[in-house]
Amino acid sequence: MIAILLVSFLICLAIGLPIALVMGVSSIATLLLAGGQILPGVDPLMIVPRRMFSGIDSFPLMAVPFFILAADLMTAGRITAALLNFSNTLVGHIRGGLGQVNVLVSMFFAGISGSALADAAGPGAIAMRMMRRGGYPAEYAAALSAATATIGPIIPPSIIMVIYAISDDSVTVAGLFLAGVVPGILLGLALGIANYILASRRRMGDRIPRHSWRDRAVSFWKALPAIMMPLIILGGILSGFFTPTEAAAVSVVYALLVGLFVTRTLTLASLPGIFVRSGITTAAVLLIVATASIFAWLLTVGQVPQTFAALISDLDLPQGAILLLMALLILACGLFIDTLPAVIILVPVLAPVAAQFGVDPLHFAIMLVLNLTIGMATPPVGPVLFVMSTVGRIRLEVLSRAVVPLLLAELVVLLLVIYAPALSLTVPNLFGYTR
Amino acid sequence: MSTSRSAIEHFGNAFVWTNRFLIGLFMVIMAGLVFTNVVLRYVFGFSIGWAEEVSRYLMISVAFLGAGLALRQGSLIAVDLLQDALPAKAARALRMVIVVIAFAFLAVVIYYGFAYALQFWNNRTPVLRISQGIPYLAVPIGGIFMAVHLLLGLREFMQRDWLAVEQLDEEDADEFLSEELREHPEPTDGPETRDLRP
Repeated sequence: MIAILLVSFLICLAIGLPIALVMGVSSIATLLLAGGQILPGVDPLMIVPRRMFSGIDSFPLMAVPFFILAADLMTAGRITAALLNFSNTLVGHIRGGLGQVNVLVSMFFAGISGSALADAAGPGAIAMRMMRRGGYPAEYAAALSAATATIGPIIPPSIIMVIYAISDDSVTVAGLFLAGVVPGILLGLALGIANYILASRRRMGDRIPRHSWRDRAVSFWKALPAIMMPLIILGGILSGFFTPTEAAAVSVVYALLVGLFVTRTLTLASLPGIFVRSGITTAAVLLIVATASIFAWLLTVGQVPQTFAALISDLDLPQGAILLLMALLILACGLFIDTLPAVIILVPVLAPVAAQFGVDPLHFAIMLVLNLTIGMATPPVGPVLFVMSTVGRIRLEVLSRAVVPLLLAELVVLLLVIYAPALSLTVPNLFGYTR
Repeated sequence: MSTSRSAIEHFGNAFVWTNRFLIGLFMVIMAGLVFTNVVLRYVFGFSIGWAEEVSRYLMISVAFLGAGLALRQGSLIAVDLLQDALPAKAARALRMVIVVIAFAFLAVVIYYGFAYALQFWNNRTPVLRISQGIPYLAVPIGGIFMAVHLLLGLREFMQRDWLAVEQLDEEDADEFLSEELREHPEPTDGPETRDLRP
């Protein structure tokens, strides 16, 4: 049964069916061929609408459309330019200056948006253009934007973490958000250092004079509405004022008010378009969650988690080796599958095994999310690379080669996160979000 | 011939408009309900009991009714490696296979979606006490919407893979284009970060 599921999955994936349909079709094929033994006496295909509906019938999941909407409203409010400007006054004078700006603006933007794709298509694309004009090679500018976009889902808010919390009951959205803060900042630091080294070695980019504190203060003031957003979200959740879903809805209203009355860059006429666009993005995300939950259900019914756990136990390895093994497995999946379906497929299989070996669920979650997110910027299936390749009109092969040194820096962070649980756990511990 | 084509186009446009309108409206109501509930709870000490259920069903409707639009504008990511590697004719045949598989999938979703909604038609939802079948209808109706979008966009898909079309909407593309034009006439040597300032 599991063989049918996996083979049909790989075939559908290879011929180029959209991933949401891949998981639906391979599940249906499995139900048709082996459904009788899973659900004797009933029509096995009835499980399809049932799982598709119940897979997204969740109030916590509503944080997803709201975070998407809030980010769309903020971006439409031209807040990206203010953030770029503020980042430039802060780090523009460092070696690899515009590259450092690219990194920092992605970190700020990560606090507004929970998606790497939004980061790549928004500030990522603009920062890339800026770097090209500032004398950086086109492929390096695009590669750096692709790499920095992966910070988006690590620094809260994060759509992928909302979905993770639905797939694994032992963690909460709030706990995941907190656990992502330090690794997210580390990712930014690592990319900043990599950019510094690469810029000095290859003599890329022009030097920018240091900005005065006055400049910094002025641009900070302009960027403040955007910087406030993650504080409102996290502050609201931590103080117990809102649930993550409510925090997301509050951030929608905040973005709306800021755009309409503070920066005055949103117009009433532009609002319907933004609502529709966010709705369509939401649908693209949730359809994957819906069809993946049929797939995940089949994996559970087929006892894949138990089989896998037994397999790992038989290896008789220390915890560190098991984590590394899992990391390699996740990385391999991340090469070929997009982050979202990978979370829904892998979490029910791997998380119980990790817990069995004494790994803290939050620690494991951050390791998995970071690992898969890095996979977004790796060929052959790297959505962030696709976006930068299209926007920057750079061939995917060229871009894939240029991104390698930056990916190495990200892998160093991944290893740190795997072997230093404190990096993920200290902040949630402070607020009482761990066991 | 030409009248039938324009009739189809007309229907297509009206369909897309209605679909977009529903998605946008549901998003607004959803966000409005959840936000209102937060305000009510903290300012007036009570909350609307049905807000959670309604907004949840609205999100589910957005997901299934919006999936067709997402498919059509290429927001559903696919792996195009094989298609890119094949010669044009073979790639075309492969795309035909994809379309057939997609329709078969949608047929299952639509047929069993209705069957499932019917099966639970006499059950009631926990808060609103409406038929449980009504929210379940989002699945098959969403399937029908996807099938219609797939039919309407069939030609674009067979000619040039819409699934690979960039994910930017037209506004963004325009913006980038004008920037590109500004970039090319005179390649500058100095740092030009100043022109970023609003």
